[in-house]
Amino acid sequence: MKKIVIVLALLLLFAAPLIVSAPFFVHLMIMVLMWTVLGASWNILGGFTGQVSFGHATFLGAGAYTTMILYLKLGIAPWYGIPIGGLVAALIALPIGFICFRLRGPYFALSTLAVAEIIRLVALNWESLTNGPVGLLITTLPDVTFGEKSIDWENKIPFYYIIAIITLGSIVATYIMSRTRLGAYSLAIREDIDSAEAIGINTVQARVAALSLSAFFAGVAGGFYAMYLRYIDPDAVFSIPLSVEMVFIAVVGGLTTVAGPLIGAIVLVAFGEIFREIFLVHFKLVGHLIFYGLMMMIVIRYLPEGIWGRLRPRVGNQR
Amino acid sequence: METFVQSIVSGILTGSLYAMIGVGLTVIFGVMRIINMAHGDMVMFGMYGAFLSITFLKIDPFLSIILWIPIAFFIGVFIYRFLLKNIVPAGELNTLLYTAGLSLFIANLVLLIATGDYRTIKLKYAIMPLRPFGIAVPIPLAIAFGMAILITFALYWFMVRTDTGRAIRATSQEPEAAALMGVNVDRTAIITFALGTALACAAGVLLAPSLYLYPTVGEILVAKCFVIVVLGGLGSVPGAIAGGLLLGVVESLGAVYVSVPYKDAIGFVIFLLVLLFKPSGLFGVGKS
Repeated sequence: MKKIVIVLALLLLFAAPLIVSAPFFVHLMIMVLMWTVLGASWNILGGFTGQVSFGHATFLGAGAYTTMILYLKLGIAPWYGIPIGGLVAALIALPIGFICFRLRGPYFALSTLAVAEIIRLVALNWESLTNGPVGLLITTLPDVTFGEKSIDWENKIPFYYIIAIITLGSIVATYIMSRTRLGAYSLAIREDIDSAEAIGINTVQARVAALSLSAFFAGVAGGFYAMYLRYIDPDAVFSIPLSVEMVFIAVVGGLTTVAGPLIGAIVLVAFGEIFREIFLVHFKLVGHLIFYGLMMMIVIRYLPEGIWGRLRPRVGNQR
Repeated sequence: METFVQSIVSGILTGSLYAMIGVGLTVIFGVMRIINMAHGDMVMFGMYGAFLSITFLKIDPFLSIILWIPIAFFIGVFIYRFLLKNIVPAGELNTLLYTAGLSLFIANLVLLIATGDYRTIKLKYAIMPLRPFGIAVPIPLAIAFGMAILITFALYWFMVRTDTGRAIRATSQEPEAAALMGVNVDRTAIITFALGTALACAAGVLLAPSLYLYPTVGEILVAKCFVIVVLGGLGSVPGAIAGGLLLGVVESLGAVYVSVPYKDAIGFVIFLLVLLFKPSGLFGVGKS
């Protein structure tokens, strides 16, 4: 049963753009998958270790800027730049982790917020590297050929497959993590950090490892973001609302679950984008995030284990 | 020397308003252990209140504070009674996430109603700054400073002299003991939350003529608020006042002597250093 569900989900993931190929829907699916990766990234830290970070935009921004700068200044193609962006984000996470994990609970959350703001201000003002508030723009992506055909980057479908593979990677990584020692350590830390420390878990090391893994995926998603939208500026990739959106997707979907971020992203991003269309087209208004806030309040009040967290036991102990 | 004095003076003027916002946040944390991410949005609400007063009712923004403080108080009662009350027992992190949701909701509601345009309030009597002893003092900021001091003193008197104030302080020190002594903790919580909301809103009204207003201004303000209350020690009222003044002065000195673009970063760096080395706050009165 479980295997059939997984195979069907995979088929659906890779066949989706063949079924519906209208650009708006492909764009919608790309956004959903990108936010799934970001939600999964946040879930690795926030769900498993229980450390609430309000600064994950730092890692998204680090990945986005790395990919962009490598391509613009050194001519390294984004498909190398994206994983490198992830690695850079994971490296940045190390010092941040060693500093911020000296604090606990809400204090940790506030410290990540402060770090994210400092890094945003650095990106805004380090003009020789980041081009400051003007941002970075790529006009063309390098040619890639498969036999005779070269990939048409004006079409959205190649991007869909790239993000589908990244999403799969993030979900598999979450699953593997939940099965390894790091996952067990993380859960112990989430339940009771003092007891975890007492039974000999190096809680700082475990939390930094989880943060670093989490940052890697946020960085990869950031690299993809830069390549897909072809334009980034500090407020677009380092801002507080981005960090908050990641938290919401992970929490609404269901913390500590493997499929939760996907569910959270489908609910929030799909509905959010549809609301955005309705508000913009019919009323010329911007404010679709009102839906995010409302969902978050409802979920924390009535479904603290998240949508997938609540549904999961009913569909036969799926992860 | 003159620039030094000038930046200290402007720092104290802005700092007095930061202090007011911080006091609101810190009393709410002290009594209910709520880290209220929506606090900045209450300030934003006050700013738009001032804007509405002058555009539609033709009331001077500083006068309109008499109208907005009670309105914000009732909004605070409503938010606590119907939204937050059931969340608080679920723990600090859940309330943190919940108020983050609330913050996004309020900011976007205002965005839908008022659109994202930047607005300013222009006062006829505030075109030229005052120049006592050759130091430039913008008139709106000077009036706001005076009123902030008045309101803060009134609050201090309320906390020290009245029974409700004593109940708030007692609950914040030891909720269970306070309940045993006959303090109605539930009612105290509602009053405290409403009081904190009213303070934030009042600060917003006072700040409005000196800042640009837009629906997401709360994000920046709430981040600054956290810096202030952590500097002073979470839960401590005198700490928040000192923290607010300190942040105001540090920002304005930083803008002159370090660099304008990084002036906002200085506050956050100090914030991190304090969190790491003295989490009970600079004055050692907060509880961590």
